[in-house]
Amino acid sequence: MSAPAPCPHCGAPLASALVCEACGELLEVGTPPTPFAVFGLEPSFELDLAALQKRRLALARRLHPDFHGTADAETRRLAEDSSAALNQAHATLSDEFRRADWLVTHLGGPREQEERGMPAVFLQEVLEWNEAIAEARLGGTNAALAGLQRTLEEERARVRTSLRAELVPLTPEAARLRRARQNLNSLRYLERALGQLGELALAPRPS
Amino acid sequence: MPFLELDVLNAPDRSILGIDLGTTYSLVALWQDGRPTILRPRGRDDGRIPSALHFPASGAPLVGWPARERAVSEPGRTLLSIKRLMGRGLADARADLALVPFPASENERGVIQLEAGGRRWTPQELSARILEEVWRTASEALGSPAPRRAVITVPAYFDEPQRAATRDAARLAGLDVVRIVNEPTAASLAYGLDRRKQGTVAVYDFGGGTFDVSLLAIEDGVFRVLSTAGDTHLGGDDLDRALVALALEEARPAPELAGDPAFLQGLRLAAERCKLALSSAPEAELRLAVPERGFLWKRNVTRAEFERRIAVHLERTLDCCRRAMHDAGLAPAAIDEVVLVGGSTRIPAVRAAVERLFGRKPHCELNPDEVVALGAAVQGHVLGGGTRELLLLDVTPLSLGLETMGGAVTKIIARNAPIPSQATETFTTYADNQTGIEFHVVQGERELAADCRTLGRFKLSGIPPMPAGMARIAVRFALDADGLLAVTAREQSTGVTTSIEIQPMHGLTDAEVEAMLASSLTHARADFDASRRANLLVELGTMQRAIEKNLPLARERLDRETRLELEEALAGARAAESVHEVGAVQKLRDRLEQAALPLAALLMDDVARGALQGKNLSEV
Repeated sequence: MSAPAPCPHCGAPLASALVCEACGELLEVGTPPTPFAVFGLEPSFELDLAALQKRRLALARRLHPDFHGTADAETRRLAEDSSAALNQAHATLSDEFRRADWLVTHLGGPREQEERGMPAVFLQEVLEWNEAIAEARLGGTNAALAGLQRTLEEERARVRTSLRAELVPLTPEAARLRRARQNLNSLRYLERALGQLGELALAPRPS
Repeated sequence: MPFLELDVLNAPDRSILGIDLGTTYSLVALWQDGRPTILRPRGRDDGRIPSALHFPASGAPLVGWPARERAVSEPGRTLLSIKRLMGRGLADARADLALVPFPASENERGVIQLEAGGRRWTPQELSARILEEVWRTASEALGSPAPRRAVITVPAYFDEPQRAATRDAARLAGLDVVRIVNEPTAASLAYGLDRRKQGTVAVYDFGGGTFDVSLLAIEDGVFRVLSTAGDTHLGGDDLDRALVALALEEARPAPELAGDPAFLQGLRLAAERCKLALSSAPEAELRLAVPERGFLWKRNVTRAEFERRIAVHLERTLDCCRRAMHDAGLAPAAIDEVVLVGGSTRIPAVRAAVERLFGRKPHCELNPDEVVALGAAVQGHVLGGGTRELLLLDVTPLSLGLETMGGAVTKIIARNAPIPSQATETFTTYADNQTGIEFHVVQGERELAADCRTLGRFKLSGIPPMPAGMARIAVRFALDADGLLAVTAREQSTGVTTSIEIQPMHGLTDAEVEAMLASSLTHARADFDASRRANLLVELGTMQRAIEKNLPLARERLDRETRLELEEALAGARAAESVHEVGAVQKLRDRLEQAALPLAALLMDDVARGALQGKNLSEV
């Protein structure tokens, strides 16, 4: 990791782009820091989520507007902005999909809409699943619903494994980033389909 | 110790009231002696202040207990459950307006106006009256003017216009809202305070008019909301209505009676009495007499019968709980504790249903009516800088987005996103040389903008002419810690920037709030102003005496400018008795407070130095 920048207020090395934890000053940031910089981390797909949450809560204790309720208007605005940046950074990093999405884009890989390639086998399966979901919507049995859910979850686990293989270790290699993006596009479909199944399970069903 | 008296300069600033502005009752609490305390109306053990207004034939409206007491004898002049109209339009509030015995209309931006006592009122102004009563109660209980700064709670599921309406009501009541907090979150704070538990908590908050459920993770003093769900039109009111419906079915009053809001309101109060009795007895009487209309009807209702009639409402609350668990990715077994909040949770059937769903006995050690106000006072203590041990991390209950081509919605901030939250989405022009673009800001979960709640529309103009698709218009949503939204838009590609704030739908503009404040200060609120002015004068007197006493100790050490300003401010304070306009008195007070800060700082240093004198280093 490169040497951390010093705090403009007290000179201590900064472990987050948003706040100096030595002197407690909120930092004015010109260009929005990357989600990893917010947490003082090097970009990486592998992340200790429990440690990330702990770190987020520690930073929230510095940044949250509640703790700047009696400060001047400028500091209160900074607290709102920094807390929003912290929340957004945490949302990006704590979710595997969003973290991978950010990394692929950041390293110059294709964006979601730029990568249309998809294995033919997967497309064939998507057509079948869509049909099954449409049937379930019209009143499929709970057993059929559960079966479909299991299939989709297994597929999701498989895609996640291959996504991990493309991003660990993290390199800017175009072919790997492209395959990672394909995996992400598959995952997006699977998540949406599983979400629809979840909604179906929540909705009142004729018994 | 003369300097201690200078504490009066700081005390009003530090403490922050916690106010639960409820549908049927409101409560106020304050952090005192290391814990939150309910400030009770004089002569009552009950901390509740009815959120009721009564408009007598002449004179100013009555608020609180006097209004509530007249609700039975004069239902046609009494307004209950005003909270249900906050931030709503006529079409949204039709069912609630059926019970409102005053003519209602709507202005061009969808703000309801009620005609009562010879003038028109917005729900914001009516709620402001209740908040004024709350503040008076607090001042009475404290024996001195209560803080003007307040944390006000709202149902977690309140949307943006409802929150903005609450904030505006507080402004109209002369309160400075430091934070809007969600009711279940506040309740968890009051509970968590005593227990300091770690784990996952479900707060089931079934109040007079609204239902909320929030799931929280508590760890190391951080109360993190995982998800929230609810219904802002589901509460004890609806349970009363189940009994009203029963009475209407069986008593068959004449149509002109059944359509009379005053009759219906009377019936609703009778239903409420019956409901309350059924929480402790297996059977209770439902009875309504309107002798002057020749109407008398009564019958006994059993608890089982009541439970059958409210089952559909209970099921709706359980659906919300399931949705919240789904959103948080938690099963009932993963929830460590369940907390009950709100008067409706006194109903045995409600407790039983909650226990069945979560598979554990819910907590109800704290008074379910008081727990929200207590939590708000805890949050006030945090916001006033009293402690850094507790932290609330809340979420937004509903997604926020923009209408796009074809009437679909692009979500910019998703529901259950932690607040504060900011997000920017870039749009472009669809026609050559298009110089303006219209935005429709919506809130809700539905896919079509028409099915979501309109927060407002705005037009970004002044885009320089360029081919279609070339302009880059960045729309920024900023949702603050109160759940209030600011939207701005900028055209980026040319460096031409235009930024526009949204005009609220179902809400008041800043100018309207200012105008209402101004007119109420000069006319209708003369009575209130008089008491506020009197309170300010008392406060000014106390400050003035403390300063006069202490100034000689430090005069030489103040720089000339500070001394002059302080003396001028003092002169103003001495002349305050002859100032009649309350705002001007407030200004005198604020000026004196500001001017005395350097003096206070100096004296504090003296205290510190005095404490150190005669001690060697090892003792310090």
